[in-house]
Amino acid sequence: MTSNRSAVLFALALLAPALVYILVIVAYPLFDTIVLSFTNAALKPTYDWVGWANYQRIFTAGNFTEVILRTFVWTFFSVSFKMVIGMAGAVMLNAAIPGQTVFRILTMPPWIVPMAIGIFMWGWMYNGQFGMISGLLQNFGITNGPVAWLAYGDTAFWATIITDVWIGVPMVTIYFLAAMQSIPKDLYEAAWTDGAGRFYRWRRITLPMMVPAIITMSLLSLIATFNSFDIIWILTQGGPSGSTTTMIIDTFKTAIGSRKYGEGAARAVVICIFVSIFCIVYFRAVRKLSQGEAK
Amino acid sequence: MSQLSLKRLEKSFNEARIIKGIDLDVSEGEFVVFVGPSGCGKSTLLRMIAGLEDVSAGEIEIGGKVVNDLAPVERGIAMVFQSYALYPHMTVFENIAFPLRVERLANDEVNTRVHAAARVLQLEPRLQHRPGQLSGGQRQRVAIGRAIVREPKIFLFDEPLSNLDAALRSEMRIELMELHKRLGTTMIYVTHDQVEAMTMADKIVVLDAGQISQVGSPLELYHKPDNLFVAGFIGSPKMNFISGTVSAADGTTITLDLGALGTIALPRSATRPVGEKVTLGIRPEHLNLGQSDFMLNVSPNIVEHLGIHTVAYSSLPAGESFIALFEGAPDISEGVTAPIGFNLDQVHLFDSAGLAIY
Repeated sequence: MTSNRSAVLFALALLAPALVYILVIVAYPLFDTIVLSFTNAALKPTYDWVGWANYQRIFTAGNFTEVILRTFVWTFFSVSFKMVIGMAGAVMLNAAIPGQTVFRILTMPPWIVPMAIGIFMWGWMYNGQFGMISGLLQNFGITNGPVAWLAYGDTAFWATIITDVWIGVPMVTIYFLAAMQSIPKDLYEAAWTDGAGRFYRWRRITLPMMVPAIITMSLLSLIATFNSFDIIWILTQGGPSGSTTTMIIDTFKTAIGSRKYGEGAARAVVICIFVSIFCIVYFRAVRKLSQGEAK
Repeated sequence: MSQLSLKRLEKSFNEARIIKGIDLDVSEGEFVVFVGPSGCGKSTLLRMIAGLEDVSAGEIEIGGKVVNDLAPVERGIAMVFQSYALYPHMTVFENIAFPLRVERLANDEVNTRVHAAARVLQLEPRLQHRPGQLSGGQRQRVAIGRAIVREPKIFLFDEPLSNLDAALRSEMRIELMELHKRLGTTMIYVTHDQVEAMTMADKIVVLDAGQISQVGSPLELYHKPDNLFVAGFIGSPKMNFISGTVSAADGTTITLDLGALGTIALPRSATRPVGEKVTLGIRPEHLNLGQSDFMLNVSPNIVEHLGIHTVAYSSLPAGESFIALFEGAPDISEGVTAPIGFNLDQVHLFDSAGLAIY
C-alpha cells in the first residue's frame, strides 16, 4: 500500500513540470479567454458580465462572417500551394541527380532565416518604388509603371499567400521527401522491370503510398496556416481596407488595437473552436492511418 | 541453342570489382540456380540480366540479341524479388494486373490473364484481398503471378523463399518446380541455400567472389567438385577436410602423409611433387562404422540422434573438426572411440591451389 502510494507520488512528481506548464501556459489563458468573452472588459479597471452579447454582436454587426470566409479562402490557397509545391520539390530532390545534397540544403533557407527577416525581405520585394518584383516586371515591359503589390486589396491578398507559402514549403518538402524515401526501392524496381515509366510509377506507387503523409501534413499545415499571424501583420497589418484581415488579425486588432478585450476574446474563442475541429479531424485521421498501417 | 549467354561479363562499383568476367550459357527451358555465399555477386549478376544494374564490361545476349542497353521490359524477362515487392495499396488482382495495365491492355484481356494466373497459383479466392491480408506463401505466389502474366521468355528469381519459414519453404520449392514443369520456361534462380540449389536445379552455377567456381548438374557438383570451395559448399553437412603432404606419386597412386592419422595411398593418375601440401576431402555420409579401407577411430564430442540419421561431431588430432553421418541409430556414444573409416573410392583430393586431383 505504502509502496503503491509512493509510486503514485513519484509519478506525480515526474509529471508536475509538464502539468504546471500546461496549467499556466495553456489551461489558464484558455479558461480566462472564455471567461473574458462573456464580459465587456476593456481598458477599465472593472468589467461586467454581458452573457452572449459579444458573440451576438460579432455575428450580427460588422464583417465577421466575411473575415471567416476570407480566412478559409486564404488558408485553402496557402495550404494547397504548399502541398503541391512541396510535393514537386520532394520529387525533384528525390531524383538521382548530381549535387542532390546541395539542392537539399538549398531548400532550407526560408525555414532557417528568422521569420520576421524573411517577411521584411518580401515586404521590400513587393515595394512599388524599390521592389525587385516591380522592377523586373517593368524591365521586361510586362507593366508600364511601378506596381505596389501591397497597396491594393487583390494583390496584397495573393502577396501574403505567396510569402506564407515561401516560408511553409521547406517543411512540407522535407516531410514529403522523408515519406517518399520510406517507400521500398524494390517496388520501383519491380514496376520498372514491368515497363512502368517515371510518371506512371509516381502516379500508381508514390502518390497512393504517400496518402497518409499528405493527409497528415495537410491537416498540420491547415492548423498552422489558419493561425498565421506574423506574415500578414508585418506585410499589411490586415490592410489595405481589411483585404488581408484574417480571423487572427481581426482578433488582435479588436482585442489589442481597439482594447475591446471582451469582444476580442469572443473572436478568439471562435478561432479556438475551428482549430479544435481541425485538431479532432487530425487526431482521428492519424489514428485511422496508424490502424491502416497495422493491418 | 542457348537462350541466354553471358560473355566476359563484369561489374564494378567504383573500385570494387563485384563480377569478374563471367561466361555462361543457359538453354531454353532450363532451371538454372546461382548459388554462393553472401557477397559472392549472385544477386548482382541476376540484376544485371534483369537490366536493373548496368554492365561494366562484356555482353548479355537473350535470344541471340545483345540486350546490354535495353530496358528490363524490352528484354523479355520477369523478376520475382526477395521482398516480393507487392504494392500494399493495391488488391491482389491489381498487383498481378500491374504489368498488363502498364501495357494498356483492354480490361477483358487483363481479366482473362489475371484469372488464368490466379488459377495456376490457387489465388482466385484472394483476388480482392490486399497483400497485408495474405500469408507469406500467398504473397510469394502473388509476386510469381505478376511475373507469369507477362509471359516472359525468362523468369528471374532473387532468393524468393528466404523470407519464409522452413516448412513453407519446402512447400513453395515443390510448387515452383511444378510451375517450371507446367510452363516450361527458362528460370534463373538465386539462392544462398545449397539445399534449394540441389533440389531444384537442372544446372547449378556456383559463384565465389564474383567468379564462377563450377557449373554442372547437382550430382556432378556433388560427386565431382572441381575445387575445395565447391566441395565445401555443396553437401550438408559439409565435406570433411584433412590436411596432408604428398610423400610419393608414381602415376597410379598418390601416397599422403596425414600426420598422426598415418599414411594413405589413393589411386590417382596425376603426378604431384613430393612434399606438396594437399587436402583430402570425405563427405560425412561416406563414412562407415566398422571395417573400411582407411580407419580413423575417433571419439565423438557430440552425437545428435535425428531418428533417420545420427550425426557425430569430433575433432581430429590436428584440430580439424570432423563430422560423420550414419543412417539410423548406430551404437555410437559421446567420448567413446568409434571405429569410423572410409573407402578410398569416396575420397576427394585437392592440390595446394584447391583444385581437384583426379
